[in-house]
Amino acid sequence: MSNTVNVALAQTSSVIGDKRHNVKMMRKQVANARRKGANLVVFPELSLTGYVTRDITYSLAEPIPGPSTHLLEETAKKEGVHLIFGMMERSDKVSAVVYNAAVLLGPDGLIGKYRKMHLPTHSVFEEKRYYRLGYEAPIFQTDIGKFGIMICYDVFFPEIARLLRLKGAQLIICISASPAVRRKFFEALTVARAIENTSFLAYVNLVGIEDGLQFWGGSRLIAPNGSVIAQAKYDEEDLALGSIDYTDLERVEAFVPVLRDLRPELFDCLKEQAEKL
Amino acid sequence: MRLLKLARSILKLDAPSVEDRIKRFIKDYVRKSGAKGVVLGVSGGLDSSTTAAIASLSLGSEKVLGISMPEAETHSVKHLEHIALLAEKFGFHLQTLDISPTLRAYYKTLPIYRETDKFSRGNLKARVRMVYLYYYANNLDRLVCGSSDKSETMMGYFTKWGDVAADISPLMDLYKTQVKQLALHIGVPKEIVDKPPTPALWPGQLAEEELGVKYDILDLILYGLEHFVTPEKIATQLNLTTEFVKSIRQRWLDAEHKRRLPLTTKLSYRTVGADFRLPYG
Repeated sequence: MSNTVNVALAQTSSVIGDKRHNVKMMRKQVANARRKGANLVVFPELSLTGYVTRDITYSLAEPIPGPSTHLLEETAKKEGVHLIFGMMERSDKVSAVVYNAAVLLGPDGLIGKYRKMHLPTHSVFEEKRYYRLGYEAPIFQTDIGKFGIMICYDVFFPEIARLLRLKGAQLIICISASPAVRRKFFEALTVARAIENTSFLAYVNLVGIEDGLQFWGGSRLIAPNGSVIAQAKYDEEDLALGSIDYTDLERVEAFVPVLRDLRPELFDCLKEQAEKL
Repeated sequence: MRLLKLARSILKLDAPSVEDRIKRFIKDYVRKSGAKGVVLGVSGGLDSSTTAAIASLSLGSEKVLGISMPEAETHSVKHLEHIALLAEKFGFHLQTLDISPTLRAYYKTLPIYRETDKFSRGNLKARVRMVYLYYYANNLDRLVCGSSDKSETMMGYFTKWGDVAADISPLMDLYKTQVKQLALHIGVPKEIVDKPPTPALWPGQLAEEELGVKYDILDLILYGLEHFVTPEKIATQLNLTTEFVKSIRQRWLDAEHKRRLPLTTKLSYRTVGADFRLPYG
């Protein structure tokens, strides 16, 4: 396994409900990223369909694997890259059960998926109305590193990133559809999640306007010491590339040894108190 | 430092960022709708002037048609001069239509018309203007761009299906005092910004007199309500009586019927305006 990976933050805008258009757009971006030397191309949350889909969510959801993952598998194979994108996943058992999911594809096809664990249902967000909660935070061993994935609001909960890191993730990928008024939160939290876990973190946010919500972009690749390796533009489509070297983890892990200093007994207290909230 | 201190500073806009966001919103919506531009009513007041200005900056002035619709009862040379000044500065096309004959036709044909009923007459003027705007929009394949602000919208201080009727309302999430800041930032002439706000539905009508509160205070009350602060705490912070803050809150709640589609009763699987939830824009 190579120690260095070139990560492309494919900060795109999707057309609501037009999967055909969005797949085409993603294919084009993957080709662009590949030309620039990317090994991993990351797209935003629900990039296959757009974010504000409301009742048409049911007709847009697909199984994983399914027609759209097959189309993008072809792209990953053809370009020889890994790619991550967001889509609505339909349960193969109950058609009205839909997950807000992220899919990881590699040159050999489908590697895995993550289902969003924290679904925002407040303010302009209505995710619990449409999606079922995910229950697993898997990590994926690939030939370009060990990845963990989370989605948008998950970043507000340190538990997911911690769990992924404890399972061995070197790079945590957070795909997002964050509207502009929340930018400060995400800019603080993405850096915090990287520092507190001594891991790399790739944050890729949507751009464009859906239902009056302006997604702010600002995707970035963050080093385990919190420094920003690559930063995409605000509010515009962009393709930002950054290179990471996993050997950097060793130096940071020694300098700020947060994982060595973990106190597992606190997790029991946390559970107890959270249940009593 | 208290995070939510109801003082003027809390309403301070990051004007360049808000300008960008509103311009992007207008441009994006017009593009997605396939329209050729916008038409908007211009009264010479703060809100419509700011809307006309920012629409021109967003779309290019050739895609903006401002329609001035004076009428005999509230005719004001000063307002017309301000409209001309604004159109000159921002370059949008201006059409002036005297709606007095149309209004007279209504007065004449309405069997229940009474001259003393200024309220119904005032609302009629706002709705007639809406009809003219939509005629132009249909004819020119454009959208109607509204200019309602958040203070008026929350208070229900507008004519239902009248001045509020539009395809987009780019300023609707800005309080009046914030619209002022945006106006000055984008270069709306100061004499327009400094004028006392009026819906101009009848002679001498002034918004702050009718609302019974200055916008500086009203906006802070509404900001508190928006952020779930109780009327008691708002009253304490602003040195007002709780009863007064509660009266503003009640007015806000009572006006919900003006901000939504007409209510129906649920009879079927999915209902328009209730649980028919579709993407938009």
